[in-house]
Amino acid sequence: MSKIFVVDIARCSGCYNCQLACKDEHAENDWLPYAAAQPLTGQFWCRVEDHVHGTIPKVKIHYESQLCRHCENAACMNACPAGAIYRREAEGFVLIDPAKCTGCRACVTACPYGMVYFNEQKHIAQKCTGCAHLLDAGYTQPRCVEACPTDALRIVDAEPVNGERVVYKNRPGRFIGGLVYDPVEKEVIIGAECTLSGGRITLTDDFGDFWFHNLPEGRYDLTIQAEGYAAKIFQAISTEGQDVNLGDIALDKL
Amino acid sequence: MNTKPDKQNIISFSLMGPESGAPCLVDSNDGRITRIRPYFYDKEYTDKYCNPWKIEAKGSTFQAPDRVTITPFGLGYKSRVYSPNRILYPMKRVDWDPQGERHPENRGKSKYVRISWDEATQIVADELKRMKETYGPEAVLCEADMHGEGKNVSPAHGCPNRLLSLMGGYTLQMRNPDSWEGWFWGAKYVWGCEPVGEMAPQSNLFPDIAKHSTMLLFWGCDPETTPLGVVSHMPSRLCYWLSDLGLSQIYICPDLNYGAAVHGDKWIPILPNTDAALQLAIAYVWLTEDLYDKDYIASHSYGFDKFEDYVLGREDGEPKTPAWASEKCGVKEWTIKALARKWAKETVSILHGNGGPMIRGPYATEPARLEVMLLGMQGLGRPGVHQAKVLEWSLWNRDYPVPFQGQFVPKITQIADPLRPVDGDVDPKINMNRFCLTEEQKKRAPELVKLFTQLPAPKQFIPRVLIHEAILNGHAEWRGLQCFSSSQQPDKNNFRQPTQQYQFEEMQYPRPGLSQIHMIWTDAPCQVTCWNDGNKSADAFRHPSIETIVAQHPWLENDCYFADIIFPVCTKHELEDIGNDMSSGNFTSIYLEHKCIEPRGESVSDFDVCARVAEKLGPEYYDAYTDNMSDEDRVRFFYKATGCEDYMSWEEFQQRKIFVVPCKTQEELDAIPAGLLKFYEDPDNNPLTTPTGKLEYSATLLEEKLPDDQERPPVPHWVESGVFHDERVSSARAQRYPLLCMSNHGRWRMHAQCDDIVWNREVPTMKIRGFDGYQYEPIWLHPSEAEKRGIKQGDVVKVFNERGIVLCGAYVTERLIPGACSVDHGARLDPIIPGWLDRGGAINTITPENTTSKNATGMAVSGFLVEVEKVSDEEWAAWRRDYPEAFARKIDPDAGVCLAGWMIDPEEA
Repeated sequence: MSKIFVVDIARCSGCYNCQLACKDEHAENDWLPYAAAQPLTGQFWCRVEDHVHGTIPKVKIHYESQLCRHCENAACMNACPAGAIYRREAEGFVLIDPAKCTGCRACVTACPYGMVYFNEQKHIAQKCTGCAHLLDAGYTQPRCVEACPTDALRIVDAEPVNGERVVYKNRPGRFIGGLVYDPVEKEVIIGAECTLSGGRITLTDDFGDFWFHNLPEGRYDLTIQAEGYAAKIFQAISTEGQDVNLGDIALDKL
Repeated sequence: MNTKPDKQNIISFSLMGPESGAPCLVDSNDGRITRIRPYFYDKEYTDKYCNPWKIEAKGSTFQAPDRVTITPFGLGYKSRVYSPNRILYPMKRVDWDPQGERHPENRGKSKYVRISWDEATQIVADELKRMKETYGPEAVLCEADMHGEGKNVSPAHGCPNRLLSLMGGYTLQMRNPDSWEGWFWGAKYVWGCEPVGEMAPQSNLFPDIAKHSTMLLFWGCDPETTPLGVVSHMPSRLCYWLSDLGLSQIYICPDLNYGAAVHGDKWIPILPNTDAALQLAIAYVWLTEDLYDKDYIASHSYGFDKFEDYVLGREDGEPKTPAWASEKCGVKEWTIKALARKWAKETVSILHGNGGPMIRGPYATEPARLEVMLLGMQGLGRPGVHQAKVLEWSLWNRDYPVPFQGQFVPKITQIADPLRPVDGDVDPKINMNRFCLTEEQKKRAPELVKLFTQLPAPKQFIPRVLIHEAILNGHAEWRGLQCFSSSQQPDKNNFRQPTQQYQFEEMQYPRPGLSQIHMIWTDAPCQVTCWNDGNKSADAFRHPSIETIVAQHPWLENDCYFADIIFPVCTKHELEDIGNDMSSGNFTSIYLEHKCIEPRGESVSDFDVCARVAEKLGPEYYDAYTDNMSDEDRVRFFYKATGCEDYMSWEEFQQRKIFVVPCKTQEELDAIPAGLLKFYEDPDNNPLTTPTGKLEYSATLLEEKLPDDQERPPVPHWVESGVFHDERVSSARAQRYPLLCMSNHGRWRMHAQCDDIVWNREVPTMKIRGFDGYQYEPIWLHPSEAEKRGIKQGDVVKVFNERGIVLCGAYVTERLIPGACSVDHGARLDPIIPGWLDRGGAINTITPENTTSKNATGMAVSGFLVEVEKVSDEEWAAWRRDYPEAFARKIDPDAGVCLAGWMIDPEEA
């Protein structure tokens, strides 16, 4: 049965269990013919990345477990001159046969996700096997999946999506946020209307905060209006490569 | 290798003593551990027989998953078992000669040679006898503790106490409530809540919060960090669920901690250890804007007028306004007012996870007391208004905020006793006998009666926070701390004792007629990295009055470097034992833990280390110590004593390896009032354990006993500085040391444990590899503070004050408030200059020496002044020139400090 990994970013607490469980299974454990042992440290067949967004105090973190996509049209397989990279019938995972690998590193360079590692001691390329050695022995889940405490990482019976066997759900877009206050009264302004170019409108909450979440990267104009105050306009706020905290924004009384 | 294991055992990941932990599946092949996985429950069995608990609220249901939510410590423990830092054989410090020169000044510098078990045990037995004959039995200080691997038939802590009791006594090291300081020394005076001082009981709190609360304050609380060594990842699942239900989650802490990062709806950054200022300003807003429950205060409190006088400035002419607070705590005035009003509008519970930045600083009693008072002003005990904890979910087998408690509590008896009060110090009516058999257990397992003969209590103790002072000054004085948390196992007969009263007695060391200490035996060698002013501890360990130091531990770390004789101890995975899951939140269970591998090297259990010393002392000691009972026998009889045989026979237990206690029925659970509901409903008939039975806004006991204490006055105050501490940014010291250093419980360590898990050490927030290849402990700095100092991500920096220097790796991040820095406590010491310069990142080496305050014998290890600078090339060169041996010690590239670094090369010897 074809299998894919589903990663729900909104449920990932960043505990790194998936990365650690992978190492517990594969570091210094030989699972031939599926895989030779990974070195004790240095390879990350499952690699957690943390992405810190924004500036104090509007900071959010999202974590993404990077896994081999077990691509349908696998660049590593295409690049391998030795025929060492093969796809399993059982669920479609792509494996590197350590016996056939000649150590030419073509696959390491070819993988667009940087998920193929090179073992200097053994002179072979190595990567995620989907714990095929365990699935064949009757396990229902790879080690990374069963170690996930929040069910953010799952393996399901499904066909690949867009040619890949890892699907990411709820990857956050960019945000723009801030806090609106009255500098004379030293009070937050609740219910100020914040209008973003493109038509999104939100009101400041009881803390004077406003947030626009999940924005596509781009440039935005923002207008903040509150009754009795002069409006404030921010032009061309860029979310290209960044999230934006506009900080504590003072509105002057009319 | 075969995917099918030769052996599959159930073993706890358990880092906080016998009552912590949860089961893991440990596979081994060819005598080596292959993998460690979460334990999966047999759902068919548990659904049918175990009545799995659930919480229903707002149309949604929360249940435990089918497996234990294992944590990084459990998953990575193989790396701990095979750590290059394991002690594999008995060792002796090379220049310590019990017949000649002892060179105490070289402790922390000189290396070790391997010796035989025979030689090591003979030396220790001879030293013990010599101590007793020369000075009296109290000359031996026993440094046992509680945190450590949870082992039952051969416990990690307390075995030396057992042997020393048989020898006629010793000086006991009394543990302070290190993660509860402010609650223990402060909050008790407001609401009693013995023995810890955090809200008690915690029963049924999360079902109530899910149904009734609308907003949660995580105040210095990280549900993604502190539960990991104690509970599991269940708090993480719970936080996601509470968000799904629409409860907003507000984090008030200096750092965007790991919980705030994923669960927080708002982060309010605050300067370390300034919470009291913020709390007072919130009270000011409520008082001046009439936003609190006056009827409740009238019927449920004492002394509110005095509190009001202080907050409004009638007492000292200084109204505690938001503007006043903002300057001290770094939270904007408008945000303070907004928070105060929002809190008054919503139904709010406060969550804690111990060990956060609010509760372990100088004068931590004050924010702890103020928090309770704020909760009181909003009707504490009302549905949805609580102080709830994200860990210790089975404390005292009484408090189950998540309703996984079984229909009965299977109690594993405890054979060693590191925490008992000194004879005569505590009212004998208070049952302190956690470490002996109950009458029922005696009936069930008569085979154990002799082994559990109650041994005489020691005659002298020193609080752990004052060990260095006691050694360096030859004497010490303090108040209270006759026993850790007053009553170890509160029950209906004793837990309502007003044990705050035990915090006032004036104590001293040495006691009249008893010896000072001249020998130390430790099974908890983490003083330098986990307690106050570790550099002073290093000085004390090197003091000439200390003739002998013995350590027993699985790993060569921290205080071990100061020991003269070191015994190798094996880990849980190398022993026969019986384990228990009391707190992971799935079920309560008892399981058989078979050894996964043979003990590494020549290591033996802690119990057997002392048995081997007992053997050298004479057969009468050996017989009394062991009762000639094997580990397997103890496992068998301990199971008998639990009472589980009424449900599962020993034979079936051996076959199934686990007994899962059926949960209470929903009707039974619904009948348990949530938290302090009964006090809320009828305070006169359900009084608190304070002297007035009310919430005391002015503490009657403090009014009576210490009315003039400026550091812990009857009404809690903002203490700018005092006789014991000068650690505020207003201090003259801040000219030189302008940053407030926060030191939390670690995300990737459990106190001093697990610093060597090589896979954790690859995580960027765990270690930072410096220019020299060494893995440094991260110090968090805001980019603005880093820029001022010319520091970049990954730079090796020195963190320093008058007490010493700690080297760290810079982690430059938006996750920390400017004006602060943050280093988790517990990194392993790597002394370059013992007592002054540490490369390992043990931040506690430069924490304040003084206790929480003059009359509160806790420790103050977070929120203290330091400066941070990049280490210059010249400084590096000078250190390397002056301390070549320290820099030449072998460092494992993945695991850090290691055994090989401290062994004399046999050829060299």
